[in-house]
Amino acid sequence: MVPTTETVLGVFAHVDTTVHALEELRAKGYHDLTVYTPVPVHEIEEVLERDRPVSRVRLFTLIGGLTGAVSGFLLTIWSALVWGLTTGGKPVVSIPPFVVIAFELTILFGGLATLIGMVVLGRLPRLAPSPTFDPRFTNDRFGVAVHCATGRGGSVREILRGAGAEEVRP
Amino acid sequence: MNRRDFFKIVATSGATAAVAGCQQTTEHILPLVVPNEQLVPGVASWFATVCRECPAGCGVLARNREGRVVKLEGNPDHPVNQGALCVRGQAALQGLYHPERFAGPQIWEAGSLRPAAWDVAQKAVGDRIAALRSAGKGRAIALVSQLESGSLGALLDRWARALGARPRVTLEPFGYEALRAANRIAFGRDAIPYHAVEDAEVVLSFGADFLETWLSNVNHARGFARMHTFRDGRAGTFIHVEPRQSLTASNADEWVRNAPGTEGLLALAILKAMIDGGLADRRFAEAVAQVDVKKAAEQCGVTVETIKHLAKVFGHAKPGLALGGGVAVTGANATQTQVAINLLNAAAGNVGKTVRFGPDSAYGRVTPFAEVAQLAQAMRAGEIDVLLLGPGVNPAFTLPGGLRFAEAARKVGLVVSFANQPDDTTALAHVILPDTHWLESWGDYAPREGVLGLLQPTMAPVRDAKQMGDALLGIARAVLGTEEGRGPLPWTTFEQYLKAQWAPVVKANWAAALQQGGAWKDVAAAAVTAKTAAVDPAPAKLEGEAGGFVLLPYPSLRFYDGRGASRAWLQETPDTMTQAVWDAWVEIATETAAKLGIAQGDVVRVSSPHGALELPAYVSATLHPQAVAIPIGHRYASYHVPRYVAASPGGANPMALLGPAADPASGGAAFLSVRVTLAKTATRRPLAILQATHDQHQRELAQHVDLRAAREQALRGRHGEEAHVSMYPEKTYPGYRWGLAIDVDACIGCQACAVACQAENNVPVVGKAQAAYGRQLHWLRIERWAEGKAAHPTNLFVPMLCQHCEVAPCEPVCPVFAAYRTDEGLNAQVYNRCVGTRYCGNNCPYHVRRFNWFQHEFPAPLEVQLNPDVTVRQLGVMEKCTMCVQRIMAGKDHARDEKRPVKDGDILTACQQTCPTQAITFGNLKDDTSTVTQLARSPRGYHSLEELGTRPSVTYLRKVVREHA
Amino acid sequence: MSDSPPTSPTFADVNRDVLRTLGPPGNLYFAWMSVVALILAGGILAWTGQIWWGMGMAGKRVPQQWAMYITTFVFWIGIGHAGTLISAILYLFRARWRTSIYRAAEAMTIFAVLTAGLFPLIHAGRMWFAYFLVPYPNQRDLWPNFRSPLVWDVFAISTYLTISTVFFIVGLIPDIAAVRDASTGWRRRIYALLSLGWEGSDSQWRHYRRAYGLFAALATPLVLSVHSVVSWDFAMALVPGWHSTLFAPFFVDGAIFSGFAMVLVLVLPMRHFFKLHAYIQDKHLDAMGKLILVTGLVLTYFYVCEIFTTLYSGDEFDKASLFWKVTKSYAWALWTMYFCNCVAPLILFWKKARTSPVVLYVVSILVLIGMWFERFNIIVPSLGHAFYPWAWGIYVPTLTDTSIVIGSFAWFLLLFLGFIKVMPSLSIVEVKETLPPPLKDRVHGPHH
Repeated sequence: MVPTTETVLGVFAHVDTTVHALEELRAKGYHDLTVYTPVPVHEIEEVLERDRPVSRVRLFTLIGGLTGAVSGFLLTIWSALVWGLTTGGKPVVSIPPFVVIAFELTILFGGLATLIGMVVLGRLPRLAPSPTFDPRFTNDRFGVAVHCATGRGGSVREILRGAGAEEVRP
Repeated sequence: MNRRDFFKIVATSGATAAVAGCQQTTEHILPLVVPNEQLVPGVASWFATVCRECPAGCGVLARNREGRVVKLEGNPDHPVNQGALCVRGQAALQGLYHPERFAGPQIWEAGSLRPAAWDVAQKAVGDRIAALRSAGKGRAIALVSQLESGSLGALLDRWARALGARPRVTLEPFGYEALRAANRIAFGRDAIPYHAVEDAEVVLSFGADFLETWLSNVNHARGFARMHTFRDGRAGTFIHVEPRQSLTASNADEWVRNAPGTEGLLALAILKAMIDGGLADRRFAEAVAQVDVKKAAEQCGVTVETIKHLAKVFGHAKPGLALGGGVAVTGANATQTQVAINLLNAAAGNVGKTVRFGPDSAYGRVTPFAEVAQLAQAMRAGEIDVLLLGPGVNPAFTLPGGLRFAEAARKVGLVVSFANQPDDTTALAHVILPDTHWLESWGDYAPREGVLGLLQPTMAPVRDAKQMGDALLGIARAVLGTEEGRGPLPWTTFEQYLKAQWAPVVKANWAAALQQGGAWKDVAAAAVTAKTAAVDPAPAKLEGEAGGFVLLPYPSLRFYDGRGASRAWLQETPDTMTQAVWDAWVEIATETAAKLGIAQGDVVRVSSPHGALELPAYVSATLHPQAVAIPIGHRYASYHVPRYVAASPGGANPMALLGPAADPASGGAAFLSVRVTLAKTATRRPLAILQATHDQHQRELAQHVDLRAAREQALRGRHGEEAHVSMYPEKTYPGYRWGLAIDVDACIGCQACAVACQAENNVPVVGKAQAAYGRQLHWLRIERWAEGKAAHPTNLFVPMLCQHCEVAPCEPVCPVFAAYRTDEGLNAQVYNRCVGTRYCGNNCPYHVRRFNWFQHEFPAPLEVQLNPDVTVRQLGVMEKCTMCVQRIMAGKDHARDEKRPVKDGDILTACQQTCPTQAITFGNLKDDTSTVTQLARSPRGYHSLEELGTRPSVTYLRKVVREHA
Repeated sequence: MSDSPPTSPTFADVNRDVLRTLGPPGNLYFAWMSVVALILAGGILAWTGQIWWGMGMAGKRVPQQWAMYITTFVFWIGIGHAGTLISAILYLFRARWRTSIYRAAEAMTIFAVLTAGLFPLIHAGRMWFAYFLVPYPNQRDLWPNFRSPLVWDVFAISTYLTISTVFFIVGLIPDIAAVRDASTGWRRRIYALLSLGWEGSDSQWRHYRRAYGLFAALATPLVLSVHSVVSWDFAMALVPGWHSTLFAPFFVDGAIFSGFAMVLVLVLPMRHFFKLHAYIQDKHLDAMGKLILVTGLVLTYFYVCEIFTTLYSGDEFDKASLFWKVTKSYAWALWTMYFCNCVAPLILFWKKARTSPVVLYVVSILVLIGMWFERFNIIVPSLGHAFYPWAWGIYVPTLTDTSIVIGSFAWFLLLFLGFIKVMPSLSIVEVKETLPPPLKDRVHGPHH
């Protein structure tokens, strides 16, 4: 049977043309877009971020960091109490040195959590390349993939070409 | 039941056990072939016996674990050493387990010693003797033994008589003939009296190294501690006269450096001054009539004031004690010097008080050197065909080179040695009948009248050995053709003979005597009258170039006459004064060194008319510029090379430089008899010196207090606990809190504790190169700190060991809890846990933590000596003093068995136990009544590097210095 | 983009130029590699000997139970600071000049830490039990002593290594993708795997950018903490010359100082051999020159403080230790340090010097020497003249310590040389970011 949606890809050489295309598409009510860029481009983000929440990576970081701090203190204090050995006439639970351990664990867990956050939210790792991806996108080309209902492809192509796409497919 | 009773009981039980062990000789000593009920695994048996490392004859308790002796301690009941032992005694174990002990009898065949069966070897000797007898040439048989004052000596004499041999020669390199001769002259008594150091108020020693080797060093050290150590406001005075600052000299409150050989003159000058000052018996005036104090002062190189001052101090002493000895008093004028000293004692009224005839020393029986020289003569003349050399004698090494003993020995048809390990003399022997080590032997020894010590086997022989007595009885039977039980020597074994000798003494109490380690009674002082004849005070005549330096060959505390030198422990024990290990040296005065351009470590050729030695130089600020000094007795055992020292440097024994000269009056060997010349060679042999500097740099590691101040403080009494400022709660101790108190005033730097620690705690030997590079593993070290003028310093000795700090810098830095503080106040070190970061070592301000840089081995069978109660440490771990935690455990177990807490004195650390001056005290710091607590609160108490706030559990007590010193 | 040069390269040029560095290496490269490998082999041999026969093979003794191993350990940790500093702190400060060098610097950081990490093992008397320092549940429930600065080290350094590596890899992902798309065959497959299938879609960029910022925020305090912790190995001990509150900032500054020197030592040849002058421009060198100058001056200030506090404190032990260092056996080492760290960098006051690769190279080498000796002077002479005169002594290095220390440099170079041939040693993405984005109405560059 015929798929209900189709995807049109426009390849651009310039940022301004890409941005122009995106503005056009949005104006025409095409919101399901995937933009490929070799570098993060401020102007493009401008357009796309308008109706998106801030990335939730920082939430991972926060939780990771707190876990680190807590486990740091738990480990040091608990393990010191297991045998309760005195060294250098200092109390068995001597907090100041334990702070160092807690601090390091905070950073460690925080960092690892951030990594996980990035990987999970960024849908990584991606084993097979997505159909609309083109190797040039990691070099010097910009790509705009529009997912639209079947039959709307024509008008999309026009918009893309009109905006100055070097190439439009299919 | 206290510790002593405990010893006694196990000693008896053990004795029988060892007899069994002694019968069967076996190559390897474990396991006991005849297991016996006395040896309970894990429980030590103690055997009482007598130390034979030197003729002092100290009582010993040998600790036997599972059939092997692992530690020696002084016998607390023995009157000579009263529980203490010296370095040599502690190191005797390394003679017992010496890697080079003869595996069995040896016979010289085709240019080398070959193992032989006992009967074969004995037959070889017996046949030769029989032949001589049948030829009527009994006089061609000579028997030489070390000083044997007991049954063995008697048996040897019987043996010699029975076989028509020459009278036995008792060979002791240090024979003190001059003392005897002088007593003969001055008191009409050919004997060496008992010198009651402990009862003297002032000891005035003319070169007598009585804290090192002179007569009976442990006994003297005990006495010295009693007379000299500051105790409730009282302390005696010790003045020492010697051209060189020996260890004994450095313990003196006043050391007078005189010109070599002028002791007699100085003694007379002092006597003169005393008489002039009305401080001495006028009857002696004529004896010193012709002495001019001023001239004497010039000749002796001291000031008139000094002489007057000495006269005053000695004259006021009630009583005093003048001693004469050491190398400077063994010249051609030795007897005259000793007479002068005798007069001093007589005039001051010390005779009978501190100089007691009656309990005379066994040294009185030593054959004078002159007669030994005659024997050598006879040997050279071919008059001797069989020469039997007992254990402990090494004439080829210990006799003056000028006597050329080795050469003479080659003229002897059959040289028989009873030594149990190779030395210079066994190299000349044709037959070797290895004697058992004294720890494996029966016997007895009387160091002085009234003291009769018993030797018993403390374990089965380590090697196939036979007691000299047994061997000789066997030979005699063969020669005389008598069967057992008949003839002039009816005894089957020496043990039988011994018991027969003791029967009248002990009656039925043989076991009791064994327990006690002998039998002793007080001997009343015999009255003597002093002749007041004049004395010729002329200094000793010396051979050699007039421009040369006077040679002072002095007996070594560590090696005695060389008997100790084959013990690696003693080689690695620093000579306290120089802190040098593993090498001999020639001590050269700074002035001389500067003149000849000699730097420390330069190899110097020392030449006398009789020989030459090449030794590294030790530049000394204290030595008399006219003298050079060399310690006697240094040699290496062949297993030391190359394991511990790169190469054997060859001859190092100054005896080689001496002539055959003897003191005519006494027939004693003249140690002070040659001048030597020095020539710097191209080579260098830096000495391994363990202490970087003797200057404290104002760090107050060794502290002292003036006698007057000490008295005042003592009157003001104990100062309380010092209050600590701390952010943390005070550490509490649920049970005991162990601590040590170390009296710097009592420590004489004899190193006995250091070796005791090494023996007790399985501390390995590392060798010269490693020790020189600060890698020795001693847990306990004796430091010498010098204060005042370099040429005339006051020396303080500090035994330094783990301070077991309450706020220990080493503990918190250890990442793995290998170091932590126990609930009993110990600073524990868990070897299994240690990963060897060495952080603790860096952070210990006292540098008492030692690291195993290599995997150190214990060459067989020395590993048998290892204390089973102490871990042997592995490569890469940190180790240190544990305050003998194994002894603490044992003490607590013992107390628990008796359902009581540990009492003061129950537990003795190894160092404390052996200390001749009782400078170290261990105990419970929580117990206000314990000795250690009392001492810790003494006004003299201080902590090393107190300002660091480490709060050590070790308290040092300040040395008390005399006003005039 | 005002600071971009008149004829700045296009995106395509960047890809071309950077990917060129990954081309097949020449003989010079292999020559270098083999020399380095040889030296490394020597080091490994020496270490084997030391494990077999014992610590005694190295020249350590009482009192210097620590010596060249810990010296070199601290040295490498210090080197490891520049990388994360550049990528994290300068990132937060939006210092654009970092972009061309930060990748090399980060690689250097990780390799330096990997090198440093070996030394605690090499140094331990029973390295086969080194895992005792790791907190793991054992039969006796005996855990590490968290009061010991050495355990802090374990945590600080392993954390630092982990975070730096993550940071490094995350930075690499888009570039690896670029390499993937430019390569073929098995290489392509490997890079594809490493790039986690990165495509540069807007959603990926979105989380990526956020995460990167967070990493930078975490890494910044970490950098400062790590060398502080290392400094406490000494400051927490009571050895005269160690026991000082000055140490943490003192060490951190020294670390940055030496770190930048090392960056220059690595980047200048890269720039020369890979012809990267268009990306690593004089203005970058100038900036780094300035940083070295500043950190150098701060270090000098710390030296002065150290001496002043010692004299002013009136602590006799400290004074004695100081006077001994300045005048006796190890004075040569101390004065070498003062010259290399305080005097040599002063030449960078002149802009000419700051932009001259030769001068910068020489100064950097001197700084590295100076900083190695700084650690040497803290450890060896201080231990040699501590509280107890009985033990005062001199440390004599043996063949073993020496070849292991030299070997560590070989190990580091080996890793770095390897890296520059398999990964883009310049950040493609970040370099592009600094370039003007291609606009239709303002086109330039060779094509079009």
